[in-house]
Amino acid sequence: MKETGISLERSETGVAVVVLEGDHDLSTAAALRSRLESLIAEGVPVVVDLTPTTFIDSAILDALLGALRRARGQGLGFAALIGEQAAEPAVRRIFELTQLVPLFPVLSSRSEALAAVLAEPEGR
Amino acid sequence: MSGDPSGAGPSLRLRLPARAENVAVVRQALNGVAEGLALEAFTLTDIKIAVSEACTNVVLHAYPDREGPLLVDAWADGAEELVVVVRDQGSGFTPAARTESAGLGLGLALIASLSKEVQIGSEPGDGTEVKMRFRLDPDREDLELSPL
Repeated sequence: MKETGISLERSETGVAVVVLEGDHDLSTAAALRSRLESLIAEGVPVVVDLTPTTFIDSAILDALLGALRRARGQGLGFAALIGEQAAEPAVRRIFELTQLVPLFPVLSSRSEALAAVLAEPEGR
Repeated sequence: MSGDPSGAGPSLRLRLPARAENVAVVRQALNGVAEGLALEAFTLTDIKIAVSEACTNVVLHAYPDREGPLLVDAWADGAEELVVVVRDQGSGFTPAARTESAGLGLGLALIASLSKEVQIGSEPGDGTEVKMRFRLDPDREDLELSPL
């Protein structure tokens, strides 16, 4: 089983990319929530990279949705990245079931995701 | 209501402390059951999502003021269905549990959407039992048409 972790990368354009490796569920939701909250408080656009994620549950979705709302409220870009060829179908499946794909946006390449969050209107 | 897993095929009986980090242990155990039943990946994925949500509800709601067990039984019922029962020995469904967490609604909706059938039983003071039946060989098209 892939090791579980939350890591942070910064793009050259100042986007924070939060990478979720392995399984994520209630046990990691609080850590994810607080990581996303502090990035949004910093005023940074965020991409959540789910390409190495092997599982997410409704608690993680809840954390992502909460962060999306906060980011939108501050005019910050926020997007999720799920690879085209997800080795694990669970992530795409739960997004499909909860019909979150139109809400998010969900992109399938990192360059698309970075472009999407930078294109959103920033600041007020 | 639980039923007796006396049929042939892999079966599972787990008793774990109801803690968030143990839900992943249940998912890992389901991987083993799936191998024994030669399940398709998409079938296993749906079962893992539903069972994970049921276990998470136990972790969140069964024992508000103490520790307690998370109990999971799984067995093949004939060649066509897998039954998974997630139980706790907590206080049972109370109105307080519902108002406390919006997440509870989404979890139950996922379970209902992903299982062929789900039965939920709760006796005040005697815990809650969520019994889910999954088709072992569902039509892929059926799955794609079943969003919440």
